[in-house]
Amino acid sequence: MVTAFMNAQVLLLAAVLLAASLAKLTVREAPAPDEVHGVPVPAVRRTREATVALGLAEGALGLALLLTPHPSVRLVAAVVFAAATWVVGELRVRRPDAGCGCFGGLSGERVGHRSVVRAALLTGAAIAALGAPLAGIDVLGQARFLVGLMFTAEVALFAALSPELSELVGRHRRRRVRPWVPCERRRAPLTETLATLHASAAWAALEGAVTGAAPLDAWREGCWRFVVYPARLDGTDTEVVFAVSTAERDRTVRAVHVRAGRAAPASLPPSTSVLRIP
Amino acid sequence: MPFPRRRADRRRRHRETAPGHGAPPPVLPDRAAPPLRIVTGTLLDASPHLLIVATASGEERLTMTEATTVWHGGRGGPAALRPGREVIVRPRTDGFGADRVWVDIGRVTGTMLACGRDTVEVDMGPHRGRAHVAVPPQVLEPLLVRHPRMEPGYLIDVICVGSPDGPRAVRPGTPQPGHRADDLAAPDPAAPVPPVLHGTVTWWGGASAPPPRRRGLYEDTWPYTADVLPPRARLAQLAPPPVTGREAHESLLSLLDTGDVPGPGWDERAEAEESPTWREFPLLTDGGAAYPAVDAETGGGCADAPSGCVPFPALSLGSEITVHNRCGLRTATAIVVECGCVAARYCDRCVECGVSPRGRLAELTPAAFAALGGDLETGCFNALVRPDVGGSLMRGSAVRW
Repeated sequence: MVTAFMNAQVLLLAAVLLAASLAKLTVREAPAPDEVHGVPVPAVRRTREATVALGLAEGALGLALLLTPHPSVRLVAAVVFAAATWVVGELRVRRPDAGCGCFGGLSGERVGHRSVVRAALLTGAAIAALGAPLAGIDVLGQARFLVGLMFTAEVALFAALSPELSELVGRHRRRRVRPWVPCERRRAPLTETLATLHASAAWAALEGAVTGAAPLDAWREGCWRFVVYPARLDGTDTEVVFAVSTAERDRTVRAVHVRAGRAAPASLPPSTSVLRIP
Repeated sequence: MPFPRRRADRRRRHRETAPGHGAPPPVLPDRAAPPLRIVTGTLLDASPHLLIVATASGEERLTMTEATTVWHGGRGGPAALRPGREVIVRPRTDGFGADRVWVDIGRVTGTMLACGRDTVEVDMGPHRGRAHVAVPPQVLEPLLVRHPRMEPGYLIDVICVGSPDGPRAVRPGTPQPGHRADDLAAPDPAAPVPPVLHGTVTWWGGASAPPPRRRGLYEDTWPYTADVLPPRARLAQLAPPPVTGREAHESLLSLLDTGDVPGPGWDERAEAEESPTWREFPLLTDGGAAYPAVDAETGGGCADAPSGCVPFPALSLGSEITVHNRCGLRTATAIVVECGCVAARYCDRCVECGVSPRGRLAELTPAAFAALGGDLETGCFNALVRPDVGGSLMRGSAVRW
């Protein structure tokens, strides 16, 4: 039972080190700010080169834990995790704005209690693994049920203590769903508005009445851009107001005649159309 | 005012006649008083009991009482009321006499360009130019408490008093944001736009500040001449303040029945024929607003300005926003007369009568700010702002103030 527990720790440490190495090598970190609300904070030199070097070292240590049962490897792992616990604790106190970078860019969230507890538990696991008789690859080869059960439980506990998991899920979700800018805030160029208008059924219906090539006025209100053209209807000078949607897709165009300050709903051609933008 | 109101009214009429658009949603504050009538102009004469002010519409005589307070770089007495100075007068709520008199008050808000020993050069944005603010030693100390970063690249917001040498700082307007002017955390691009924004509203300019110079599409097209108020607005100035938006509408209708003399201006004949536009809240007839998200495509906006601290819907010059002062419980509609490029760089709060959420929603002209019950020397009020975009988007939203 005790031996199985120690062997499970070797697997856990190797898995964590390899995952951290992979994350550091593939997910870039955002640069940490130099100050919080105008107050300068201690600078932490965290260049990309240093991150890559650390990732490679962690990968090598993880592989060594898998391949050899030599005590020196276990000792190095214990020292590394103990040092990581100290660093994470210091970061939590001194850099409340920055993440620990334990898993590269996935660890951008500020260091919290969970990260410190996780590092401390991993240090305990590294100390427990000092007496494990087998290398990680041999533990995998034996495929003991008890070891598998312990490893699974520890991975679940590790995941529960990892804020990086939600960031990973969020990134995956964001990659699948492109952010949709609301039409009220979308920067819609005037050329796009005019192109949408000129391709609409409302414009086709009223084009004959429009007497000017250039709009008299154009302005924006939320999801709509209004364009006013001079027009002539039944021998009277009027104005046509087009309301063109600023949405990214399925833009609606509406139109109405205005004469001497009043709407003239009678004798209006069909004035609403929806232009499908592929 | 910079943006002709007739043109703004015309736009509003056009918008409302378009199919699918209509009046703003029936959102009414539970307790909202109308705006106060502010007198702005040059002091002609002052005695212990009477103020005579030359305004754009003529000479105004205002009664001074023992309760009237005078501000001139701090609490001032009658000695500050010298002829030739620019004043902003807010009447008492009962309409009898002047309540507050601000003399030569001004405000400088923007990005610091250079900081000398006793002067600061400030970039107030592309629409307002630059200003040199004198900072006396006795003001520097309290200023540093709320503006710890007096360095180029950081924002500054100070209440000033006019002097022959230019604006002189008196006190900080609001606390300095910790970030640099160009380092604002914008909201998520996909963040939805709430129908009513909650944040802080400030003011800009001053009693003696020249009207802002407009550039771009509108340069020299609509010059900054003294704007002739539209008939309804002029009558509203003469009428006693109505209590609700509906009453305001009815009182204006009754006044219009008595006849009106339209002034000269653009398409005046058509304007005189049109029926009055119903407004849910009274229109601020003396002043307007600088709104942070003015559409750059249709002129007047700032193409390189940040998107602001909160998700703003895009508007144009001449659009309308309804502002509710949560401190003074007054509500009114203001016309957007300028792009609030500077306000867009602020992500601050107002701590008057409660702490507002972050975000500078609008800057008002001094008269509009005071009309809504704001104290100019305080600098801000906790506010709700509803951009009046109309249409189906806003209609039906059950928001109550």
